[in-house]
Amino acid sequence: MSSKKIEELKKRRQIEIRKKKDQKTYALLVLALWMILLLTFIYTDYQYTSVWIIGLLIGITLQRTRFCFTAGFRDPVLVGSTSILKAIILGLIISTIGFAFIQYFAIGGKEIVIANVPGNIYPVGIHTAVGAVIFGIGMVIAGGCVSGTVMRIGEGFILQIVVMVGIIIGTILGASSFKFWDLNVIKDTKEIYLPSFVGLPLATILQIIALVGLYILADWYHKKNNIML
Amino acid sequence: MAEVKLDCMYEACPIPLLKAHKELKKMKKGDVLIMETDHTCSITNVLEWANKQGYEVDYIEVAEGEWEIYIEKE
Repeated sequence: MSSKKIEELKKRRQIEIRKKKDQKTYALLVLALWMILLLTFIYTDYQYTSVWIIGLLIGITLQRTRFCFTAGFRDPVLVGSTSILKAIILGLIISTIGFAFIQYFAIGGKEIVIANVPGNIYPVGIHTAVGAVIFGIGMVIAGGCVSGTVMRIGEGFILQIVVMVGIIIGTILGASSFKFWDLNVIKDTKEIYLPSFVGLPLATILQIIALVGLYILADWYHKKNNIML
Repeated sequence: MAEVKLDCMYEACPIPLLKAHKELKKMKKGDVLIMETDHTCSITNVLEWANKQGYEVDYIEVAEGEWEIYIEKE
């Protein structure tokens, strides 16, 4: 949508704008560096190559789509928009199906031993909720979660470098004091893995139904909410 | 018609959107808000919000990594 007034303003501004610098050289340089590192990984540590390639593709996707986990959880509250939240839910549905296959082949019809199942299955308890709230407050203030911060540094938003320093400090503090939390809080909680109660196929179907339900709910919320706080 | 400039440089979202919302409240019908921002996310953010409100909206890149967003109050 663009009205006559806006078109006029744009035209007036277009004349004043100086020619933009050509950034293709930088792009080629970075791409060359990426290729050199890729070759290094192929010859030294082969398992890093897939991570390196997938990482680049995810980075491009994040940047081009403006996919932002922070906005996904902030915008529904702030502006009543759930378009990014819906994208996150869609992503979860896809990864649920993908991981169902991965875990199905890993379990191989045997008794489920949680420690052997691929995927991040960790003990859940009050520490999960407390951590989520702290992280949530942090990411909204900082204007980005970890992937969003890295992506915005890449596109040149310098403010996020400060955030990155904070992330690194926080991660180091967390890693160095993990033993304390593990002994005092996490030790007493258990992993909850739905397939060990109802079996993998049913657990997958239940999870997809729950996610589709959330998607419909988010869609309804998006249409209903127009007004900001 | 009045044009109101709003400086949102170096501000991460959602601050630009909140500022625009506050400024638009003060403006008259037919006025155009010109937002200056260097945060790409706020473009999507503001555009989606303005479209939902039924405001006319558009943007151009005025320099490397700097944009102007135009919103016409209905």
